[in-house]
Amino acid sequence: MASIAAPTSATSAYASGEDTGIWSWITTVDHKRIGTLYLWTALTFFLIGGFEAVLIRTQLMRPNMGFVSADTYNQLFTMHGTTMVFLAIMPLSAAFFNFLIPLQIGARDVAFPRLNAFSYWVYLLGGIFITLPILFKVAPDAGWFGYAPLTTTQFAPGMNIDFWVLGLQILGISSLAAAFNFITTIINMRAPGMTLMRMPMFTWMSFVVQFLLVLAFPPITIALFFLLMDRFFGTTFYAIAAGADPLLWQHLFWVFGHPEVYILILPAFGLVSEVLPTFSKKPLFGYNVMVYSGIMIGFLGFGVWAHHMFAVGMGAVADSIFSMMTMLIAIPTGVKIFNWIATMWAGEIRFTVPMKFAISLIAMFTIGGISGVMHSSPPADLQQTDTYFIVAHFHYVLFGGSIMGIFAGIYHYFPKMTGRLMDERIGNWHFWLTFIGFNLTFFPMHFAGMLGMPRRVYTYDAGQGWDAFNMMSTVGTYILFVATIFFIWNFLRSRTRGAVAGNDPWGAGTLEWSIPSPPPEYNFAQIPEVSSRYPLWDLKDPAKTAGIEHSHADLMTITDAHAVPVHEETERKTAKELGIPMPFPTAKPLVAALTMFLMFSGLLFLRNGMPTVFLIVTIGGAAAFIATLYAWLTSPLE
Amino acid sequence: MASHAAAAQGAAPGHDDGHAHHHYTTTGLEHRKIAIWAFIGSECMLFASLIATYLIYKGRSIVGPFPHTEWVSETGKVFPPILDIPVTSVSTFVLLMSSFAMVLGLQAVQLKGSPLPDGANWWTRIQRNSQLWIGMTALLGATFLGFQAYEFTSFVHEGLTVRTNLFGSTFFTLTSFHGAHVTVGVLWLMTLLWIDRTRGLGPKDELIVDIAALYWHFVDVVWIAIFTLVYLIR
Amino acid sequence: MSMLRLRQAAPALLVAACLVALSACGGTEYPNSTFIRNTDLNTATDELWDLLLFWGTIVFVVVEAALIITIIRFRKRPGGPAARQIHGNAALEIAWTAIPAVILVLIAVPTVRTIFQTQAPAPAGSIRIEVIGHQWWWEFRYPDLGITTANELYIPVGRTASFELTSKDVLHAFWIPAMGGKRDLITNKKNYIWFTPDSSLGSNAYNGFCTEYCGSSHANMRIRLYAVQPDEFESWARHQARPAVFPAAATDTAPAGYSFPIDRLPVHVAPQTPIPAGLTYDDDLLAQGDATRGATAFLAGQCYTCHTVAGNPNAIGVIGPNLTHIGSRNTIASGLFPNDAPHMARWIKNARVMKPGVLMTTIGKGEYDPILKRTATQGTLTDQQIADVVAYLMALK
Repeated sequence: MASIAAPTSATSAYASGEDTGIWSWITTVDHKRIGTLYLWTALTFFLIGGFEAVLIRTQLMRPNMGFVSADTYNQLFTMHGTTMVFLAIMPLSAAFFNFLIPLQIGARDVAFPRLNAFSYWVYLLGGIFITLPILFKVAPDAGWFGYAPLTTTQFAPGMNIDFWVLGLQILGISSLAAAFNFITTIINMRAPGMTLMRMPMFTWMSFVVQFLLVLAFPPITIALFFLLMDRFFGTTFYAIAAGADPLLWQHLFWVFGHPEVYILILPAFGLVSEVLPTFSKKPLFGYNVMVYSGIMIGFLGFGVWAHHMFAVGMGAVADSIFSMMTMLIAIPTGVKIFNWIATMWAGEIRFTVPMKFAISLIAMFTIGGISGVMHSSPPADLQQTDTYFIVAHFHYVLFGGSIMGIFAGIYHYFPKMTGRLMDERIGNWHFWLTFIGFNLTFFPMHFAGMLGMPRRVYTYDAGQGWDAFNMMSTVGTYILFVATIFFIWNFLRSRTRGAVAGNDPWGAGTLEWSIPSPPPEYNFAQIPEVSSRYPLWDLKDPAKTAGIEHSHADLMTITDAHAVPVHEETERKTAKELGIPMPFPTAKPLVAALTMFLMFSGLLFLRNGMPTVFLIVTIGGAAAFIATLYAWLTSPLE
Repeated sequence: MASHAAAAQGAAPGHDDGHAHHHYTTTGLEHRKIAIWAFIGSECMLFASLIATYLIYKGRSIVGPFPHTEWVSETGKVFPPILDIPVTSVSTFVLLMSSFAMVLGLQAVQLKGSPLPDGANWWTRIQRNSQLWIGMTALLGATFLGFQAYEFTSFVHEGLTVRTNLFGSTFFTLTSFHGAHVTVGVLWLMTLLWIDRTRGLGPKDELIVDIAALYWHFVDVVWIAIFTLVYLIR
Repeated sequence: MSMLRLRQAAPALLVAACLVALSACGGTEYPNSTFIRNTDLNTATDELWDLLLFWGTIVFVVVEAALIITIIRFRKRPGGPAARQIHGNAALEIAWTAIPAVILVLIAVPTVRTIFQTQAPAPAGSIRIEVIGHQWWWEFRYPDLGITTANELYIPVGRTASFELTSKDVLHAFWIPAMGGKRDLITNKKNYIWFTPDSSLGSNAYNGFCTEYCGSSHANMRIRLYAVQPDEFESWARHQARPAVFPAAATDTAPAGYSFPIDRLPVHVAPQTPIPAGLTYDDDLLAQGDATRGATAFLAGQCYTCHTVAGNPNAIGVIGPNLTHIGSRNTIASGLFPNDAPHMARWIKNARVMKPGVLMTTIGKGEYDPILKRTATQGTLTDQQIADVVAYLMALK
């Protein structure tokens, strides 16, 4: 196994950076390429999840429709949620973590490039594993939240939940590995002079997210592990006959699940915090407060999980405490909104497509935030929870917030990733159709919910007062479908036919815009020495950053001998020509991901009466995994 | 392994097998040192979830056997309290001692190669024997695992399995999760021992021993929490 | 710019439309509205909602207006002013931290008060009702009145109904939107909720729903609530507490108790689920149904293993709904179909086609069971026998 990828000479490592063959992608450890892989994969899952939404909305278009069966519908809404949360939005954020963080902090790669590749491959395998069953009508069907005891073998004897529990377990490993990597990268690989309080806001929000991942994923890992033990080995964690408490799952799930909401939204907040200053020609307003509010949101996010559980009967005292904790989160969130508006105030606003998406994040997330405060109040929430009002709320947060922010990020950073700009005209079609379709889909759901329509129903009776709202939502979804076609067209077309971007097409201020687009494999020919938050504006337009404190180079205690003042890099030499050592390409992370995947998937045989096959596959997979790890750890990085 | 051969052809001077980077880092610390702390932070949440579950389900089992109290089944069979605290106290002591050996192991690696002071006695000499201390750490860890295997076997004989009741499910899952961590630690230490025997560990390898030691101490501290909350508190 | 203004105005227009629509929400057009103050619980919640909507609207208008004004006023124009490089403003930032905090306090205080008010123990003299969730139907027990029934719930107006909720299998949630907030039904746990329908309400029927996802037929787990006048409730309760009148029907002269008249059922309460295609039954047979033969067929079809009919010593099953007074109900299958002979016959013939995932097995002879994936063999009934069982059940008034 070790022999698969070990390069025979250093030359191949140098050359590979500009290589474009399939094998170069399979063995890549370049954070930009891994970011690109994340982006393509996550967009694919985003389309799958979106298509599931189209099917869902078609079934709900009219009362008592027979477009899909109850069981198919239940698989569709489960997979729509699971896909969008774990396979689309999180990895879309990961695409930006990968691509941007090293560029923004002036580093040549992440701290552990091979671990980074491993994270991607694990994500890809986990995503396929959890998605494929829908083709065979055995997709997970207990909701993305998978409340016990509906997921136990007593109530879910089929393989549906097996795919779900194993798939999420695998995906969790990917997220955790990536989080350790980025924490180390951000703490340890900032260019000389880039103090924490000079980091770009996207890197800051990503930094907070990595801590949320590290601390929030263990509870769900354990909750899933209990479920796995229950389903495959007969333990009693969720077995109601043994006296189990179904709320155990809910607590463990939401201790993860609420920070997860911030894991989904904070990267988008970071992205728009890059887009808004750029297109307002002004630095971010109240940088320090933006950082602290992001940290506060992350911190408070761990103390509010039970607001998802106001209906379970926790008692008046617990309800009150969680209610007030939840309201507290509105404060740092509100501060962000106001600071963004203040960032644009007195600026020169250019309405590019990324800017439009960023502005609509502010407008739409505000609505989601307000409805969020509405169900922070438990008595009011008891009329809202598990109705379409909640569906409206979290789509305003996750679509109006995360997806809008991610689209802003894609339009903004596409030129950096590919060297070409996305088309503005098609982009405008995409934006307006998205904005209209989004509001038409989700605004009426507020009404449907408050007028009594429960969530997760595959059908409803006529005459309940919901018909018109459902029809509107369905039409809106179709508009979103059309909007997405414009996006795909633009995305595919602009890669080869977009206008050439140059280093800095937008006039932005952060380090990633000082290097060529797309960046060379080593990113920075010379590591820049940073003395402010917008080093490129210091260089090109010092007036913009005059009001912010700058440091003097001589104040720095640690400097890299190779560091130079910030400059624009224009030459495009290979790493070899510059004598920069780059990590060897290697397939070991992929092999490790595959063997670990094998180890988990062996469990499927256990519940299907093939214990011998289970033992062979799982133990064989584990042994191969360990062997691969040894081969990996003992082979040189660069 | 292939590492040395590959390193010999190495890309740049000063980058042998990834153990001695001279890269600039912001904090001056090695990447792996930071990553292991992030990892330990995550592990804390993992064990916190497991221990919290044990405590939530404490006393909620419908049928026995129970950890601290006697249970009479429907057929009249008497099941004594199942936890054997004296035996586990011994294994806890063994694990604590392994942490002590680990400290000495790291110290031995750090001292390797520095000149012996005049009049060095046997203890000063033995302090520099990294193979002894790392090996002893692994051996004590393996002894702890032996105790755990004995404990699990005797519990199963006494009628407690993972399927029996909530106590069985939570107890076995928690302790075997910890046991799995000890197993990984023992394998890790044996790998270090093997490296020490083949090429010798010295001060330049401080980091790889240090992160193994951090992990080992963490696993040890977790056991102290488990021993207190599961075994000692009734 | 007109496009821009329109786009930014759209949310504001939507909210304006929302406010207008909300004030109109209620009555027959929106029968499940949460804004109708039918009960003390609903009133307390709706007062809180009004407060939330008030502050929410203010925040919404302020934020969106600030946003719209900013992007219009500071759009890049040829010859326009250059961007002013402002990096922050402590006073402003403190202000927009403090003002939301004050608003939240104004929300938090009544919130906590309402939490304690609505979660206090039910007032003395309330009617106790045990609600037990099953996949996918509701069991209702009135322990003080000796009644066990299913899916249709009667309560008197002007008196507190106090519910004790639990589940036999997975989680469910009990929600009648027009009466007040919901509460989960949790296995191995008891939950409580109570509300008092206003004494001024006329006798009326309301819809309720399961709102915790519970598997295949989660959407098909519906409740019918009849909040009726106290004397009607008394009459209903007295009758329901008695064993089934069959087979003594001919000689039993006691008048049947009150039940909500089917002809007064509001249109939104009458089920409209279409009968699935492919499930055929000759409705002409129903006219020849014989209740006495049906009582025998009830045993032949092994109905008794799951269903109780008080007064029928063989029928003591507790897996399915209690059928003692099935004839007095307006709906079957947890509110999915009207309780008439054609629907009942098809339900018995192949319930699993009528309602996805349902536990009740396929009973019609030669029918295909979609869950077991084979043709029903044991305890099967012919169409004629089904007509007899229907006659028997319909007689259980």
